[in-house]
Amino acid sequence: MATLRKAIFLLARQKRLNLFQKEANLSTTSRCAAAYWNKDWKPGPIPRTAEERAAAAKKYGLRPEDYNVLSEDTIGDYPGLPLVAKSWKDPFEDYDFPGEKRNYGEPIHPDDDIIGQDLWDPNADGRYTYGQVVTFVFLIFGGFLAAWKILAPYPHFLPQMPKQYPFNDLYLEKGGDPALEPEIKHYTFEPADEESVD
Amino acid sequence: MGSTLGPMWYTYVSHPDTAPDYKNPPTFDPMLGFPNGRKEKTIKATREELDKANIPLDKRDYCVDYFLAFVKCRQEHFPRVSKYCSQQRHAWEHCENKDEIMRVKEWERERRLKERSKRIACKENREEMAE
Repeated sequence: MATLRKAIFLLARQKRLNLFQKEANLSTTSRCAAAYWNKDWKPGPIPRTAEERAAAAKKYGLRPEDYNVLSEDTIGDYPGLPLVAKSWKDPFEDYDFPGEKRNYGEPIHPDDDIIGQDLWDPNADGRYTYGQVVTFVFLIFGGFLAAWKILAPYPHFLPQMPKQYPFNDLYLEKGGDPALEPEIKHYTFEPADEESVD
Repeated sequence: MGSTLGPMWYTYVSHPDTAPDYKNPPTFDPMLGFPNGRKEKTIKATREELDKANIPLDKRDYCVDYFLAFVKCRQEHFPRVSKYCSQQRHAWEHCENKDEIMRVKEWERERRLKERSKRIACKENREEMAE
């Protein structure tokens, strides 16, 4: 009971109720209030003047000198950001969204969906030249082809003799000449004078 | 090396001369080494019965009696086959398994007899050389 009373007392002393947020994660930007609905998140027209550029930079939480507009008309005033893979970001930093390695209000790249943690890593491109890639492909599939060609005369088999069939190995059933029917007998491994124990 | 790679290594690498031909029936006299003879494999069903029951050719092996019993039970109890015919089915599968084991034994017998005949030939050759 004393614990409950103390908890209520401590909660009442809070100016704002931040039950599920760490103090360090609280953002000082006003981006949350800037947009209310999907249409508010739509990029605006391409800024032309210095004031428009500064306003657009503030809208996206960037410094005006960092703000660099994309030339594509479809994205409007959305900033051109460096394409940095998620795997290259520091894993030990105290992110607001650790799963995304992203802080609150941090602008995301337009192609953010293809540079996830386990997806395409643009920073790792250029490790192999085009010729090396083609060589590796031919080596791997050529290896499979060579193994297939080399092992073709040595088929896989089980250590079994061919299956035995009654009626002289089904001679007549398989369309043999009745006049030339051979007499084929098959034997078990039990002695002839012993009763079967099957 | 297991039951698969061992025989393949034996056939293709280590002993290609005494490896049995697994595509053809055994070459030695079936009674060789059996002083009391061997029990003959037989089936009770006749050709007419099998034709009447329309048993496919690949099922007309030495377990066809069990298969015939299973087919009759299946026709009687369909669609509740697994409830009423699991005994017959198990008996048939058990017979097929035993038949397969017998084929493996035939392979091993062929291999050992081939090695034996090779040993005998070598010995005769050596005696001829000594004379």
